Amino acid sequence: MNIVYALILAIWVYLCVYDMLGPTLFMGNRPLISGFVTGLIVGDVQMGLLIGGTLELMALGVYTYGGATIPDYTVGAILGTYFGKTNGFEVGISLAIPAALLLTQVDILNRFLNFIFVHRADTYAEEGNDKAFDRMMVYSSHIIWGLSRAIPVFMAIAFGEGAVKAVSAFFTAFPWFNKGIQVTGGLLPALGFAMLLKIMPVAKFPAFLLLGFVMYAYLKIPLVGIAIAGIAIALVYQQLKYRTAEG
Amino acid sequence: MTTAESKLTRADLMKAFWRYVFLFQCGWNYERMQSVGYAFSILPILKKTRPDPEEFKEAFVTNLNFFNTNPVVGAPLIIGAHIALEEAGASLETTEGLKVGLMGPLAGVGDTLVWALYNSIIFSIGAVMALNGNAFGPIFVFLFVLIPYLAVRYWQFMWAYNQGTNLVASLGSGAIARLTELATIVGLIVVGGFAPSIVRLTTPLKWERVVTLRGEQVTQTIGVQKQLDDILPYMLAVLVTALAYWLLKKGWNPVRVIVVLVIIGFLGGALGIFG
Repeated sequence: MNIVYALILAIWVYLCVYDMLGPTLFMGNRPLISGFVTGLIVGDVQMGLLIGGTLELMALGVYTYGGATIPDYTVGAILGTYFGKTNGFEVGISLAIPAALLLTQVDILNRFLNFIFVHRADTYAEEGNDKAFDRMMVYSSHIIWGLSRAIPVFMAIAFGEGAVKAVSAFFTAFPWFNKGIQVTGGLLPALGFAMLLKIMPVAKFPAFLLLGFVMYAYLKIPLVGIAIAGIAIALVYQQLKYRTAEG
Repeated sequence: MTTAESKLTRADLMKAFWRYVFLFQCGWNYERMQSVGYAFSILPILKKTRPDPEEFKEAFVTNLNFFNTNPVVGAPLIIGAHIALEEAGASLETTEGLKVGLMGPLAGVGDTLVWALYNSIIFSIGAVMALNGNAFGPIFVFLFVLIPYLAVRYWQFMWAYNQGTNLVASLGSGAIARLTELATIVGLIVVGGFAPSIVRLTTPLKWERVVTLRGEQVTQTIGVQKQLDDILPYMLAVLVTALAYWLLKKGWNPVRVIVVLVIIGFLGGALGIFG
């Protein structure tokens, strides 16, 4: 029976990953959704709601800005709900969080390995072979990402909580390791922002970048307020700049 | 490129739209991020507008350049505008300029609107309902994702395509440049506030000093973080972002920058310097 659940939930996490990469029809990568559906699959909807809801509140506003790695609450909610059903909420949540953190390393690896697709695409483009490119996109472009989540889910359920506990025991035994991953997760978004800044004309308009920083860091304006102020500032700037042209 | 066969039909547009919807971020990687998804979306259009195999190849290669923006608010707008320019016979320099000019600003604006604002609202409502044992919580979220997400993407795509065609027809490229500039300014302001709110790097280090207070020896503990905050809030986050930016500007490949950041983060966290 474990193997059947392992297989079904591995397929479910693959679908969640694919939904995030592609259609975003149900936001399956959010723990509230992945946990709830896991609850439906294993027949414990309440556990799915509790685990999913708890992780969701922890992850509110946590998204992969600029392609940054975040804890994998998707897998966390699935494993937490599955193990929570037989062992109770406490065990479920205490497995979900280390599982989510553990998967951050897998995420960095899969985002790295995906360079295979862009290099194959270069070859197809040189040949003008759009058919082969289309086939690669449809059939294989999501495989590394999908399997990087499906395999850990399958193994964790097939080998039981012993496997997950052994892994999380490692983290408790070596808190410095956990701390290292936590700090890494916090600073990796710096790369996404740096790439964003590299493609923006920072040297031409440094004042606007500074204004945004001051509004957040000193004036403590929420981001939406900064966006609205940004629109106002941009409109005023353009009105002044193009005034002569408009007469 | 003004021949009758280069004119696009609604079916061509929808083909590009559905390709974007179903596979846009598949194949995402550190090196060129959404580039393969972007090329996949625009390919049927290029095939139609560039019947010459050599021209098609050149456009295919060019559209595999680095690309990254918000997939929900941002990407469909750029693809729609790109199609309009492509149909009007714009050069690859123009269309690449449009992509590069808009992707950064729209990433900042789109991430704020979609993830930080809209999703935080619907998911916090859904999560609170779920914690009360109400199965309608996730269903509520599902409905508020499914319909608005598809609608906002379709609307942007069509709006940008129609506007792009109009703008090209009536105003030439000046209006596009002005729109790009507007988006760039908003984008820079948003990123200036967004980066310190997301990049997290602090230090738990403390040091002690003995001071003499009214003739008594008193040991004071001073947090380094507090002192840094007094100089410049979010100083370490700003520094690490500046370091990554500087390395990229020096021509480092993103994967090498990641290795450096992972080493700093992991060692710093493990040794208790950061965290």
